[in-house]
Order: sequence, then C-alpha cells, then structure tokens
Amino acid sequence: MSVLRYAVEEALSSLWRGRRFSVLAVATIATAVLVLGCFLLATTNLEHLVDQWRSATELSVFLADTATDDDRRQVEAVLAPGALVASVEFVSKAQALVRFKGMFGDLAPTVDALGRNPLPASYEVRLQPAAGDRQAIEQLAARLRSTAGVADVRYDRQWLDRLLAGVAVVRRIGLVLSAILALAAALTVTTVVRLALHARRDELEIMELVGSPSAYVQGPFILEGALQGLIGGGAAVAILAVAFRALRARDLATWAAALNLADVQFLPIWTSVLLVVGATAVGGVSGLLAARTRG
Amino acid sequence: MIEAAHLSKLYGRGIYALRDVSISIAKGEFLFLTGASGAGKTTLLRLLLRQELQTEGDLRVGGRRLADLSPSDVQAYRRSLGFVFQDFRLIPRMTVFQNVAFVMRVLGSPLEVQQRRTFQVLKYVGLQHRMNAYPEELSGGEQQRIAIARALVNEPQLVLADEPTGNLDPDLSVEVMNLFREINGRGTTIIVATHDISLIQRVGRRVLTLDHGRVVEGR
Repeated sequence: MSVLRYAVEEALSSLWRGRRFSVLAVATIATAVLVLGCFLLATTNLEHLVDQWRSATELSVFLADTATDDDRRQVEAVLAPGALVASVEFVSKAQALVRFKGMFGDLAPTVDALGRNPLPASYEVRLQPAAGDRQAIEQLAARLRSTAGVADVRYDRQWLDRLLAGVAVVRRIGLVLSAILALAAALTVTTVVRLALHARRDELEIMELVGSPSAYVQGPFILEGALQGLIGGGAAVAILAVAFRALRARDLATWAAALNLADVQFLPIWTSVLLVVGATAVGGVSGLLAARTRG
Repeated sequence: MIEAAHLSKLYGRGIYALRDVSISIAKGEFLFLTGASGAGKTTLLRLLLRQELQTEGDLRVGGRRLADLSPSDVQAYRRSLGFVFQDFRLIPRMTVFQNVAFVMRVLGSPLEVQQRRTFQVLKYVGLQHRMNAYPEELSGGEQQRIAIARALVNEPQLVLADEPTGNLDPDLSVEVMNLFREINGRGTTIIVATHDISLIQRVGRRVLTLDHGRVVEGR
C-alpha cells in the first residue's frame, strides 16, 4: 500500500508542479479521444439507422391504378411467406396518402390541390433476415415485374448495403485518424513525463543509490501518464456528451423524426468506458516508456 | 569487508580509470582515498556503488561479488550503503526532515519508523532544530550534515563520500570530518574520497593514494 500511496502522492504533486505541460498532454489525449468518439458516434448511429431500414420494408411492389382484384391475388400468391418472404403488408392508395401527409405535412396542400390521389397502392415486403441470396431476390423481383397489375418493384437492400459499406469506410478512416492522434498524444505524454523526470533527476539518482525498488522509481511516472490519459479521456467523453445533448436538443431530434429513427443515441456506456480506459492505458504506457528510457 | 583484486576499469580509447588495483578494507575501517583529479577515486566509488562494473579483476563487498548481482540484488545491496555527494544533492522542495525521511519513504518503511529514525539522525548530526527549514535556508556545513544524516538514516554498514568537504571552508570541513569519525566510532565502515591533504593529515586515518588509476601508496 505504501508504494501506491507514494506513487499517487508523487504523481499528483508532479502533475501540479508541471501543470502547464500537463495541460498540453491532457489536451492532445482529449483531442484524439474526441475525434475517435465523434467518428464512433456518427457511425454507430448511421449503422443503427441502416439496421432500422433493413428491418423495415425491403421490397416494395407498386400496383398500377388499373390493377384488378385478380391481379392482386396473383401478386399475393407470388409473395406468399416462405424461405424468402417473411411478411407482406398491403398499403392502399388512401393509406399511402395518409402516410405521406404525416411525413411531409408541408406538401399536403400541394397533393390536395391535385384533386386526386397520385400515390399508388403497394405491398411492403419484409424479407427473411437470412435471405442474403441476391440472385433469388432478383428472380422474385423479376417475377413480380412480369405479373399483371404491377407498375414497379423497388429493392432497397442494394443501396442499404452500399450505405453500410460507406459507413464502414468512414469508421475505418476515423480509426486511422484516431490512431495517428493517439500516437501524437502518446509522444506528448512521454515528453511531458520526461520533463518531470528531468526535474526530479536528483531525487531519482538518490532513489537508485539507496536501492529503492523499481515500483517506487517508476510508479509515479506511470501513474502521472495514466492520470493525464484519464483526465484527457474523461474530459473528451464529457465534452462529447454535453455537445451531443445540446445538438440533439436543437437539431438532431428533427432529423431523427424525419428519418423515422426512434432516437439518435449517444455512445453505449461500455464504449465510453473503453475510450477512457484506452486513453488511461495510452498515458500509462507512455509514462512507463519515459521512465524506462530515461538517460 | 571490501576485497578488490587486480581491479581495472577501462573506458573507450584505451584509457584506464583504474588499473590493477588490489586492496582490502576491513569492517569498521575509516579510509581516505586521495589523489589528483582523474586519479580514479570516483571510479572506485562508482564500482563500490555498483553503478558501473569493472572491466577486469574482482570486487567483493561482504563476501559478495558485485559483478554477479542481479538488478534486485543490486537494490538490496545498496540498501546497506550510505552515500554523500560533494554538492549535497538535497531536494530543494523538501524540508530538512522530508529530505532525510525521503530515503526511508522510498524504501517503503512504515511512517512511524520513518519519523523516529529521521528524528534520531537529525539529533545525531545536531540539526533537529532545523528540521522544518528548507535546504536554501541552511549554511553549506548544515546542508552537508543533513546529507550525512540522509546517508545514515537507513543504518548502513558502509558509507561512501565523494569529496564531501569540496564545497566547504576549512572549519566546516573539520566539523564534517569529526562527524564521520563519530559515525565510524559506532562501527560503520567509512570511505572518503578527497584531495584535501591537510584535512587527511588532521584526521589521521589510513590513506590510499591513487595516481592515474593505480595505487601508489597505502595498499
């Protein structure tokens, strides 16, 4: 316990004595975590959004206004739930209009001005989650297109897949950028801890000459780096949370409603904890490197 | 206690800091190491502190070959030593009491033991009344007495001092030497490196003179 107490006391006192440089180290760590946090926040929410879209209608079958009951029965026969189709929902012209007015209230007068309902009736088809065979889905779409009374068939999954691939690229860019920033932060912490080591070189020489255990010699510097990481990481997550709340209150809620997204979410708690723990670890390792490589 | 046999320390470009030094120092002895600058006094102290290793020969302290010590053995060995620098090396941000207690603190001694031993050694060097002062408030002689107290606080068997009076005037030098004599009187082995011949003559103990790394007098 005495070594831990010594390390904590010395690390805190060293942080305070070198506060001008410590602020620099904390700021670089906070920047790295903030950038990573922003990318994670954006990509997590985009993935959440795409997941919602994926679980919603994936195949839309629009009927011609001239479609008869026989035509509808034929379409329903093709869409019978099975290995490919999970469920089917019929949306009449009237229901489509109500939905449209609900989502785009500003355009309601324009539609009313037309004097007729321009929206087609449709079937919204949910595919089985495991229905990954694009060829089978294409075949189904082709069969539907050739069925009498069908005006158009829209298949959502292709562009959703493209969007997901885009999100993955954005996430990768974020990770690379954050890794570079984390490296810069680690170098800054190492330099700042080295300055602290230099300021205490006489103490360290005495410690080594009296046979002080390595934990006493290196411990305070490892802890000093770790504390810089903890403060930087914690501050970054806190800033991100505050900025997110402010933004959500102002703009995001409107977007979320427009996109039919239940709610734009902050990072899951374990991700936030992992960001802070990661920053602490980067700081601690940098402190250890500084202590081990001192001249 | 200390046995050196054919000890040599060779630095780059073929320069010997010590050459074929063979000496024996008994437990409880007081020895002066003297010689001109560059004679090898500090190198011998560094070998004894296990800060460096000899390039040839053998060095044993208390029967242990210093070259064979593992890093943790070196730490344990150094706990049996006390060291005094020429420039005192007191930590400016710490009080006198904290400077002396620092050694016990970084060795993990319980707080109560730290406080008791620190007070004892401060009393021993006659500076218990200055325990709350900072080093800059002390005279050179007082600072060196504090440095000696710090070397003694862990009750070492061997105290090494490198030019401990180098920064002091003659009166203070005698005062510091008297303190070393007292410590030696309690059975602690003392090795003092100095080039102050008049001081050595005043104290009158065994002298080992080095010249260009070789022992030229007092084997």
